[in-house]
Amino acid sequence: MPNDALPQPIHSAKDALDALACILGGALPGAVAAAEDPAAALLNDPDVASAVTGRLRGAGSGAGNDGLCRWLYDAFRANVPELQLAVLRFVPTLAGVYMCRAVSRKPLAGFEAVLLALYAHAAAQRGAGQAETVSLPNLANPSPYHDAKVPPKGKPADLDVAVLSPPLEPHGTMRATRRARIVGAVLELYHGKLAHMPLSSKMDFCEFCVAWAGTQSKLDSADKPRLPPSQDAAAAGAEKWRRVPLPWELFQPVVRIVAHCLLGPTRSDELKAQAARAAECLYWRAAETVDAPALLATRSLVRLSQMVEEPIPEPSFPSGAIENMAELEAMKANILSTKN
Amino acid sequence: MAAEWDSGSEAAPAGDWPSAAASPVKGNAALPEGSDAGASASGSSEAKVDDGNIQEAESSLREGLSLNYEEARALLGRLEYQRGNVEAALRVFDGIDLQAAIQRFQPSLSEKPLSKRSNKLRSDSSNSGSQHAASLVLEAIYLKSMSLQKLGKAMEAAKQCKSILDAVESIFQCGIPGVMVEQKLQETVSRSVELLPELWKQAGAYQEALASYRRALLSQWNLDDECCTRIQKRFAVFLLYGGVEASPPSLASQTEGSFVPRNNLEEAILLLMILLKKWFLGKTHWDPSVMEHLTFALSLCGQTSVLAKHLEEVLPGIYPRTERWYTLALCYFAASHNEAARNLLKKSLNKNESPNDIMALLLAAKICSSSYLFASEGVDYARKAVNAESSDGHLKSAALHLLGNCLAKKSKVASSDHQRSLLQTEALKSLNEAISLDHHNPELIFDMGIEYAEQRNLHAALKCAKELIDATGGSISKGWRLLSLVLSAQQRYSEAEVVTDAALDETAKWEQGPLLRIRAKLKVVQSLPMEAIEAYRALLALVQAQRKAYGSTKNGAEEDGEKVSELEVWQGLANLYSSLSYWRDAEICLQKAKALKTYSATTLHAEGNIHEVREKIQDALAAYFNALSTEVEHVPSKVSIGALLSKKGPKYLPVARCFLSDALRLEPTNRMAWFYLGKVHKYDGRLADAADCFQAASMLEDTDPVESFRSL
Repeated sequence: MPNDALPQPIHSAKDALDALACILGGALPGAVAAAEDPAAALLNDPDVASAVTGRLRGAGSGAGNDGLCRWLYDAFRANVPELQLAVLRFVPTLAGVYMCRAVSRKPLAGFEAVLLALYAHAAAQRGAGQAETVSLPNLANPSPYHDAKVPPKGKPADLDVAVLSPPLEPHGTMRATRRARIVGAVLELYHGKLAHMPLSSKMDFCEFCVAWAGTQSKLDSADKPRLPPSQDAAAAGAEKWRRVPLPWELFQPVVRIVAHCLLGPTRSDELKAQAARAAECLYWRAAETVDAPALLATRSLVRLSQMVEEPIPEPSFPSGAIENMAELEAMKANILSTKN
Repeated sequence: MAAEWDSGSEAAPAGDWPSAAASPVKGNAALPEGSDAGASASGSSEAKVDDGNIQEAESSLREGLSLNYEEARALLGRLEYQRGNVEAALRVFDGIDLQAAIQRFQPSLSEKPLSKRSNKLRSDSSNSGSQHAASLVLEAIYLKSMSLQKLGKAMEAAKQCKSILDAVESIFQCGIPGVMVEQKLQETVSRSVELLPELWKQAGAYQEALASYRRALLSQWNLDDECCTRIQKRFAVFLLYGGVEASPPSLASQTEGSFVPRNNLEEAILLLMILLKKWFLGKTHWDPSVMEHLTFALSLCGQTSVLAKHLEEVLPGIYPRTERWYTLALCYFAASHNEAARNLLKKSLNKNESPNDIMALLLAAKICSSSYLFASEGVDYARKAVNAESSDGHLKSAALHLLGNCLAKKSKVASSDHQRSLLQTEALKSLNEAISLDHHNPELIFDMGIEYAEQRNLHAALKCAKELIDATGGSISKGWRLLSLVLSAQQRYSEAEVVTDAALDETAKWEQGPLLRIRAKLKVVQSLPMEAIEAYRALLALVQAQRKAYGSTKNGAEEDGEKVSELEVWQGLANLYSSLSYWRDAEICLQKAKALKTYSATTLHAEGNIHEVREKIQDALAAYFNALSTEVEHVPSKVSIGALLSKKGPKYLPVARCFLSDALRLEPTNRMAWFYLGKVHKYDGRLADAADCFQAASMLEDTDPVESFRSL
């Protein structure tokens, strides 16, 4: 990381918080600076988040001498799991801004250093040359959740093994043709920690998805009723995030994250609406290139977003008219007076 | 306190009660206790409480004979809950001590079964009595949990709900027996089992949610099919989209050969497949979302042919048939079964089905655009798609793009020059229209660049290639190669080399093969044999290292078209050495090539070439013919045969002409073919024709890339 501006190394969440306060200057609220659990504050505090994402989105960010990128890099490399979560929280903005600007081939050494550090972590976690695979069940074999009718004699039926994510080759530099793969792997890392990520981080991601897909205008011009336009359209004057190449290695992790935002266990309608929009934009992107697996995946998401979730059944009560209400009230009063 | 009670009763007119309107007869019929008339006094009075006969309950309460403190609270709390007074209900429930109640029920309910078979509750009156009391108290806790949930206290609700399941497990240590359990108790248990994971989820305790889903599905709760189905579906959804890294289920008790999922996705897919199977067996109703979840999961891991199998099993009447065909076609196309996909779309686009379905038309055109055989059919589909879309439609540019591609493909197999040039013009027109609607689509820019390049409009092709690099930030490898080849066609070799080097910088080692090959060919064409050999050596090292790393099996990560084969390298080297008259080295290279693939037209052609340069004309001809018999449409061999025969005297001129024309039909831009055809015409005395041919050859020579644009 080509930067010498940062004074001290980061060993703990407290160090990280102090260092961030230095970088952001007065932008860090006092309450956060004095937080008891600095890692949690870095992960969840909305003021920290908006200060950092604001900087990341700002013009000229991501260059080799960007102190904030240096901070993200050091904080992640400090090897404190809670701190790593706090860094991952900014992956949507980081990847979003980076991909949009990388197309115009601006020097972005700061962003690249952070992304490569995250990628290296993902690769180390996975193990050299290891692909992430999925064995498809064959219902002829029994499983914990069902019994096979005929007990398999001798050998169980063969399983198809699918590759979900190919092995992660080591990459020391960001080569343009590997950019999508590297960012894709970083998004896979983010995907693994989605349950810990705050809502605003996911909102950011969905916003960038819409921009990446570049099909928003088509969506808005369509005659059928649409979701209200997202807030980013209102912020005129801000940098316009652009369409980026979305090969499958990037498209797939993107769709997985959007699916989580749409169908995962959040109760935020705002996020669901934003995710539904992202899913629709990605669907049109897939339709443009008639990309069959992408079409299948995103079409299912769009359809699922329109289905109503089955509610948990309410308790049922035996039927029968209630008579003698007066006596019941008396009984109630009796019980309550004896015990309370 | 009293005021709240009052307000509660005021706010509860009879009409608000969930089931007040239902007939009491129905209530009676639903309960097994109806036949229990001869049971003891306490047993029958409680049974009637369940019947909804509150009056009876009240009297027993007053007498203080059968209902103890917990049960009375349970009953009252339920009344409040029924009325919608959640907070009031909660206050009543709060006084219930579940642990104490369990301890009272335990000895009577779970007397250790003497024989293994009789894991059942005895149905004598005292047992059914305490079972009923247990039912009442457990229901109270269940309602308490529901009340807490309604008040937004999900964590507390989950803890209460969990205590029900713990209680049930400690009462029935051997699982809930299938029979002889009171219906109401079973219902409470099922509801609680179903509720618990949802509460954990709402409380944000995802690991607990996961554990409780597994507990629900793997323990003996005697759940009915519908309830089990709902839990399985919600669990699958949670696994797919929960964003939780789950440890796989630990199942020591599993029998050998059983499938134990290792991760979330496997477990989710397993559950979804089980759900589908249940539906096939008629155990549950059809739920369209199950198929959508499975579609999502399987297409993410590229297993669309497995998905197709499941779709084919769906009984008719669920999906409209055209939709089913289209979805299946997507699956097959994604799995590279283009023929099957095309046939399905043909059915779907039949004039009696839905001939104007834009998505199906686009897919059909896309499939056809990859084959010379079906390019013409593809043109029809794409035209229809263009017409089906209004001018500002979403997919107009996609339709025009595919139309251009199909026309370009069709032009390659056109029967006449005239037709070919017509098709080429049309193809470019379509692509241009598409680009005017969608400026930044890299695929479109690339196809346009290729089309210009193949038509030898190098200036336009160069513009496209540069635009492509800008639109993708240099992230697409074939964009770099297009730029480099276009520059080489313009004879700007040193610039082409600069581009190739820049591209090498942006490419990871393993994927550098095609670029190194271009570099070697650039050296050859600049007559730098030593540097060319060096470049080939680097390429060979890479190819051999790749072979060692991946073994003979193909690795899924690499696209086949993006890899250089070792065979090609030896063939290239053989040609290079023979052009330098290093016969021995050339022979060695050929041997290596033959060892890799015994019958290869390109190798045989290279061998013929060596013979020809060494003036062994018969051997050369034999090699060329052998090459043709391994590959009927091998253009270089046709040209070489034509060239050799044209030199053998007037008798052979018609045959030579035949071979050369044939070569030009297959590859109209082959400059050597034009050159030798010109010679044939000259020998035959047709000077004007000869001049035309020579002119074509000379023009093509100025625009010849080091490698065919089609190789991209």
